[in-house]
Amino acid sequence: MPSRKVKLFGIVNVLIYSLLLIACIVLLKYFLANGSRPINLWGWVYIDSLSVFFLLITTVVSFAASIYSIGYIQAEVEDAKISTRKAAAYFQLFNLFSLTMLIVPLLNNLALVWIAIEMTTLVSSFLVGFHNTKESIEAAWKYIIICSVGITFALLGIIFFYYTSSKDAGVKSLEWAGMLSGAGMFDPKIIKLALIFILVGYGTKAGLAPMHNWLPDAHSQALSPISGLLSGVLIKISLYAILRFVMLANPSVGYAYSAKFFILFGLVSIVIAGAFILVQKDLKRLLAYSSVENIGLVSLGLGFGFFGGIFAGLLQAFNHAVTKALMFFCAGEAVRSYRSNNMNQMQGMIKLMPFAGIAMFLGFFALVGMPPFSIFISKLSILISMFEAKYYFLAALTLISIALAFTGLLYHVSRIVLGKPLQGVTVKREPLSSKIAFIFLGIFILGFGLKIPQDFFDLLLNCQHLILGK
Amino acid sequence: MILNIILSGFLVVTFLLVISKRITALVRTFRTQSIFLFLYTLYMGISQRHTELFIVCGLVFVLKAVVIPFVLLRIMRRIDVEEDLGLLVNPQLSLIIALGFTYLSYLLAHNAMALKNSMESAAFVASITAVCVGFFIMVSRMKALGQIVGLLVMENGIFLAASAIAGGMPFFVEIALFFDVFVFVVIVEVFVYKVNRLFTHIDTSKMKSLKG
Repeated sequence: MPSRKVKLFGIVNVLIYSLLLIACIVLLKYFLANGSRPINLWGWVYIDSLSVFFLLITTVVSFAASIYSIGYIQAEVEDAKISTRKAAAYFQLFNLFSLTMLIVPLLNNLALVWIAIEMTTLVSSFLVGFHNTKESIEAAWKYIIICSVGITFALLGIIFFYYTSSKDAGVKSLEWAGMLSGAGMFDPKIIKLALIFILVGYGTKAGLAPMHNWLPDAHSQALSPISGLLSGVLIKISLYAILRFVMLANPSVGYAYSAKFFILFGLVSIVIAGAFILVQKDLKRLLAYSSVENIGLVSLGLGFGFFGGIFAGLLQAFNHAVTKALMFFCAGEAVRSYRSNNMNQMQGMIKLMPFAGIAMFLGFFALVGMPPFSIFISKLSILISMFEAKYYFLAALTLISIALAFTGLLYHVSRIVLGKPLQGVTVKREPLSSKIAFIFLGIFILGFGLKIPQDFFDLLLNCQHLILGK
Repeated sequence: MILNIILSGFLVVTFLLVISKRITALVRTFRTQSIFLFLYTLYMGISQRHTELFIVCGLVFVLKAVVIPFVLLRIMRRIDVEEDLGLLVNPQLSLIIALGFTYLSYLLAHNAMALKNSMESAAFVASITAVCVGFFIMVSRMKALGQIVGLLVMENGIFLAASAIAGGMPFFVEIALFFDVFVFVVIVEVFVYKVNRLFTHIDTSKMKSLKG
């Protein structure tokens, strides 16, 4: 009986997140029909194109994660890894975690955005250390401490912004619209300093190298649906906060200043991640390093913002979110069946679990940027923006890093999926909910690769104009 | 004059933090620092006659000078581990580094921030020193509690910076920040117990099962 209760919890959750997803799509339609005018509700909520875009990422991935959770948690309970009570706690934490991520793009006050982001860390730390093993608690500890330090530096940056806003522009509040109206009068010297704190601080949470040390640990130790959320959404939510401050800094110091840092962090991230992907033994760590690589690519895209890179970068952020969620979900299935994270013990997944095996193989091709999948388009656009900016050397370096990551992933994933199953590994039933989650994410991965929906295209263009301040 | 004494006290206590070798000593020094922060906000409240400032000042006292040190000391009582903080950098060198931080903060206050008011810049120097010292404690002390206190010291520094240069954050933001600090302490307390139970120590430099 208790197992059915878990299922019921899961189904209720799916209903909640399907409603949220529908609400978000309605919001998108309404927003575009109204000429993308920002919505300001009671001074607390502020919604513009950027908010809608990040809401969309959050709702899509958390909907998929809520579907996947049903089968995943049920299996965990059946394998006696967690008790029914803990399963109920899981759903509560899952909802709290999604809630904190959902309110970040909605808040008008930048200090409250900061607090909401810190809350995402605090809530999800329990989901990282969920199994209470040595490894998971160590990962959770690192996660909570490193991210909190990072975000404390970001708070210092916010205070500098507030200082110049109240001293030079006379805006004594941290509300978005007010600060933006006075942004032209900010003191460039202070803004330059503040922006470094913001980029390093929120960049830590966004998983940009060299502040990424917590990421492979936390993303690999978390429960698989949560890994999908962490890699897919959480690191992007931090990027959202960075973009907000970049927009505030633009009128006084210009986008070119921020762009330099985006390029620097992006480059370091892809190079470091590329090297680490090659030597991984743990499947989920492999995927986590691939997230570092992808957030680096997004950052590089943003760095070439004057050449269409913001559009490409944000598109990459969305595509990576859905693709990486799919990969983590597949990895979750694999880890459960092989009872190990070690890739040497995983072989012949396609024979044992045909559906998850194929999903993983296709997901791999999508992740490394093969046509006709969506990441192909965004990666190509990022490279094009580099070429247009005449950064040929950098583009070549990026291509080499992408190739490195490709080789690493190809070697590992092909062994896992193809290969001959080891003795003693029994065939596990594949839960229906996982299959539905794979198909749902697959629609986005393939669909956006074939044609980007017009509404989404318009939304991204709006974001690009908004960030560049045109 | 009074403000001078309070700010000097804050700075001196910040230096004392880096020479603490035992965990309880560190927590108690943190408590003293919080009391100076409380005195600073109290002075501000009296001189500006804002009701909101008095509420903030009361919260500083209750939360940072009473509740949080109490929780941290309770952790120490309950887990019963050795008191040694595990210094990676010895106290003498730590003190010299802390002095370096003060000099850097001074440069920052006068060049980048161009603070004219001498009290403002003194408070700013003290606050940025505290932020740097907090960070330094986090990276150079091996025990988990050292990292928690380090972060709280950073938070104290930032709080002082906010009220020094920007006249404090908007009221509800301050309240939300207090809430955040409180939740942080409660959650890390849970994790310290878990770490201690699984590892039978709280030495983070020995946590090495995840690598590469």
